[in-house]
Amino acid sequence: MRENRVVITGIGIISPLGEDKESFWTGLCNGVSGIKPITLFDTSSYRCKLAGEVAGFDPKRYLGSKGLRYFDRVSLLITSAAKLALEDGHLHSGIYAEDELGAVIGSTFGSINSISAFDMESLREGPNYVSPMDFPNTVLNAPASRVSIHCEMKGLNSTVSNGETSGIDSIQYAADFLRFGRVKALLAGGVYALTPDTFWGFYEADALAGTLPETLEISAPFDRRRNGIVLGEGAAVFLLEDVESAVARGAHIYAEVRGYGTAFAPEGRTSDIAVIEAGTGAINEALWQSGIAADEISFVASGAHSSARRDRLEVACLKAVFGARARTIPVSAIRSMTGECLDASAAMQIAAAVMAIGSNRVPPTINYQEPDPDCDVDCVPNVMRELEVENVLIPTFSFTGNASCLVVSRFDWDSNEISY
Amino acid sequence: MLEGRSGVDEVTRFDTSEFRVHKGCEVKDFDFEKYTGSKQNREIGKGSQLAIAAAALAIEDAGIDLKKIDPTRIGVAVGTTAGEIQVLETVNVIRYRNGIDAVDPGLHKQHPVNQIPSNIAIEFGLKGPNLMLPTACAAGNYAIGYAYDLIRLGRADYMLAGGTDPFSKVAFTGFARLGAIAPEICQPFDKNRKGMMVGEGAGLLLLETLESAIERNATIYAEIVGYGLSCDGYHMTSPHPEGIGVVSAMIKALKGANIKPEDVQYISAHGTGTPANDAAETLAIKKVFGDWAKRLMVSSIKSMIGHTMGAASAIEAITCALAVKHDIVPPTINYETPDPECDIDCVPNEARQARVRIALNNAYAFGGNNSSLVVKKFVDY
Repeated sequence: MRENRVVITGIGIISPLGEDKESFWTGLCNGVSGIKPITLFDTSSYRCKLAGEVAGFDPKRYLGSKGLRYFDRVSLLITSAAKLALEDGHLHSGIYAEDELGAVIGSTFGSINSISAFDMESLREGPNYVSPMDFPNTVLNAPASRVSIHCEMKGLNSTVSNGETSGIDSIQYAADFLRFGRVKALLAGGVYALTPDTFWGFYEADALAGTLPETLEISAPFDRRRNGIVLGEGAAVFLLEDVESAVARGAHIYAEVRGYGTAFAPEGRTSDIAVIEAGTGAINEALWQSGIAADEISFVASGAHSSARRDRLEVACLKAVFGARARTIPVSAIRSMTGECLDASAAMQIAAAVMAIGSNRVPPTINYQEPDPDCDVDCVPNVMRELEVENVLIPTFSFTGNASCLVVSRFDWDSNEISY
Repeated sequence: MLEGRSGVDEVTRFDTSEFRVHKGCEVKDFDFEKYTGSKQNREIGKGSQLAIAAAALAIEDAGIDLKKIDPTRIGVAVGTTAGEIQVLETVNVIRYRNGIDAVDPGLHKQHPVNQIPSNIAIEFGLKGPNLMLPTACAAGNYAIGYAYDLIRLGRADYMLAGGTDPFSKVAFTGFARLGAIAPEICQPFDKNRKGMMVGEGAGLLLLETLESAIERNATIYAEIVGYGLSCDGYHMTSPHPEGIGVVSAMIKALKGANIKPEDVQYISAHGTGTPANDAAETLAIKKVFGDWAKRLMVSSIKSMIGHTMGAASAIEAITCALAVKHDIVPPTINYETPDPECDIDCVPNEARQARVRIALNNAYAFGGNNSSLVVKKFVDY
């Protein structure tokens, strides 16, 4: 079976740092924090008040004003990012047939707001008074379907709900379809919209930074003061194509998707060893698939998100994979600036990796002040770094036990030693 | 199913007095304790419970000893429409009556939909790829299809794949408001069909490579030989009137499996029993199969078990596997009056003994997500 190579030819990103890839990248490189007091809902009864909101988001700019009445915030964010990715990739309608295009979207909490609103309305007013037009938003694949309908893509529409690893898993899912030659181009990425339901859930689970007394409400990956996540929101979408189609239409190629690995830790909730085993397994599998040696990785676009345990375990995985080099390879945690954007987070990591390849810059981990002996990596503290970037390792873990890892590389037509 | 029995009954999970319809297909007397080992935390949602029970049954049926398998080589891919929606519904009732502070945070934690494949993997200690593909009412086919891809790509040797959905008040409310629920019985392809029946359930299949199955002397039910996906890109709830996406999914599936339309004997239809679906699906089948459509058997088991949402296409894939294994096709029950818009052989009311070499499993979903899976009789050469 001959398999196609898969490249990234467009980026659409709406993040707490701004509503395009430039503001995202400039913000990251300048160490700007997108974390601010929450305005989307009332936080007066919580100790936690901060999140990385997409402030002043106006979807009309991307989608026009027609036909948006039944789009909820999740669908608006992802459809806007999808439009941006298509524009960025100069993929105008007509280049490929509609049946050769599709979308694979990572979204776990789906339209939880819409589901709850529909259900609460039914409880309050009775089931005969809810609007049937609000019903479609309650299915978990609604955001992905909105993208396909709006962007007229008919080849494939799928949703991946793997929590924080969704962004990586959805891109791999899309890459597999392109490898098999089933379609020519796919939009793939992830989305999360900040909602009171999920905020409350994480708050009650003591997962948010600043929940407990005497703790700081801060996103400070690898820092000794870290004590939980700060939520963020947004959408990041990539245009993926098989390399021959991309080259044939003269597309700008940002990077190549080289390798992917994934594993699950059944004992992950209680056992550190189980998480390290899964994480190391996923990273090693991704490296093996990519045919790139650990030594050739330029930097790690880290999944660290400021929780005490997860950051420590990611470092343990990196030590298992990189050996002594784990202390010197740059490990950049952008969630220090965006917050934990759940399904969008891993896609934002990939965006950072891809733009680092384009500009030979590695964004910093901000809020880094007090070193933690358990996280003794070079986290590119507070100031971005100029560095030749060829290959980037992108690991991520989910709360439920998934570990997924992607390797992306600078595109080189001649490097075709892929061992899938 | 072979006896043509119906699982339709009064809905008991919630009070339906405010609704105009009151019937559904619930799993009766489900006892999760029967299926679970000692290690699983019992505080999991019903979607996970149904899926774990189905997984336990699949593992037992396969006669596979998980202790003898490298756990990193066995993964999980499941689909759903609404996931652990019952959890959220319970949370909302408490919140509505007593405010959010009365809600147990432990309950809320059970809700994220990725808990389902995680809970399956935790129950059985599975360390391979773990995926939730919630592509609504076609989700089972999406999960089985991608699991098939993962095995072919060498990323796993075994996959538990399928779908699950617990009975959902939100779904019942939504479909009721769309006027899509039948008052008494589900009658796919009948002229007087009045709609679907909301159901619940889970269906999981154990997939493995042929080599592995032969080596361990397994009972091989069927071979998965291809699948096709497409998207209408048209409307959130209505199928495309000309069935363009549905046609495309079937054509891709046949192409992927490298077979001709005439190779197919049986189609397990999406066949929800709504006026729009069944007519559009019939039209699409005729477009793809031409004259051969008259020779095809096309039945809908939703006439018996209702629409089990994300589980439906997984249970229907199991139906296809059993049909090719045993050369028997389950009926479409409640069929009384032919509809010229549904002029296919729907295997009315009685199961039929017939040679089935290849079965096609159709499933469609909200958002215009279409899928067709090709299931082939395994012949040991």
